[in-house]
Amino acid sequence: MRDIGHNGIVTSTTIRPTPSPVINRPNVTQVGVIVWLGSEVMFFAGLFAIYFTLRNFSPELWAEQTAKLNVPYAAVNTLILVLSSVTCQMGVFAAEKYRARRTGGPLQFWKWGMVEWIFLTYAMGAVFVVGQIFEYGQLVSEHIAFTGDSYGSAFYLTTGFHALHVTGGLIAFLLLLGRTFAVKTFTHREAVTAITVSYYWHFVDVVWIGLFAVIYILK
Amino acid sequence: MHINRNVFVILTVFFLLVAALYTAWSVIDFHSNPAHAGATHVLGVEWVGTITLALCAGLSGLIAFYLAMSQRAVGGVLPEDRQDAEIDDGDPEVGYFSPWSWWPIALAFGAALVFLGLAVGIWVSFIGAPIAFLAIVGWYYEYYRGNFAR
Repeated sequence: MRDIGHNGIVTSTTIRPTPSPVINRPNVTQVGVIVWLGSEVMFFAGLFAIYFTLRNFSPELWAEQTAKLNVPYAAVNTLILVLSSVTCQMGVFAAEKYRARRTGGPLQFWKWGMVEWIFLTYAMGAVFVVGQIFEYGQLVSEHIAFTGDSYGSAFYLTTGFHALHVTGGLIAFLLLLGRTFAVKTFTHREAVTAITVSYYWHFVDVVWIGLFAVIYILK
Repeated sequence: MHINRNVFVILTVFFLLVAALYTAWSVIDFHSNPAHAGATHVLGVEWVGTITLALCAGLSGLIAFYLAMSQRAVGGVLPEDRQDAEIDDGDPEVGYFSPWSWWPIALAFGAALVFLGLAVGIWVSFIGAPIAFLAIVGWYYEYYRGNFAR
């Protein structure tokens, strides 16, 4: 007869002698921002749904009003915003190397630090918003008004909420620069801030590409 | 991290399929309605459902893309990816959190005034916006000032 103890048929976990694996979780701030940007996708989904539904119900109004859009002007503005995403990413690359300030002359852009790239990105984003304000002024003078008709409402709601997001991004850039100026040494924490702000900026840029395709190309 | 990524890849594919199915179904439904008999020049797409379902795929795809990208960058094998992981392995250092702070309450107060102003009179928003902005700055720099300056 086999001698079975009181615990004979129970298997239990064993503490392994091998060391547990190194766990590289993605940064919790970045994951949180990505999930929040997912919710922002759905916010803009609502705006796109408004735009397409109203367009579906009044195609004649759309044909009349979209003819007033200055597409080349908006295309130049779009190009500025897309290029600002590139300069923002250059800033991130500098931040990942912990290079906060430039190591060469002011015009040696290949030696720029994060601060210089973010300043340039800020200027381009600001040019985009100002360009859009001038575009609004032009369109209002051509009788596309926010409360004028359903096209005006759809146009200003979608592009306006996007412009508010760009403005929010500009404020985020200022806060990021402030953090960089507040510390003596640029550390991992400041680099994470820069990377996280860049996620938001790229998102806003991609949303604008979608809006530009729908509003100015598809009409 | 590949399990987390796969969950969102599956969701993305699912939402794309549902968006296509929904679109086709609404078009068929529109044209089989006798009231729309002669409407051959209209697509008959129901845009709200089509767009939101398609962008649900965008929402899941964004997270899947991020997880795939960070897996490539940090090469993380998480405990949930391993058959032989212990419970303890899933208890990592998750980051830095403030033990307490007044700034969220200040920010909530400012934001509440901004949205109250949208409802009752825009002048209230003009008082709320600077309060909200000050609270954001205060919160953002809370661990960059005073004892925490470095």
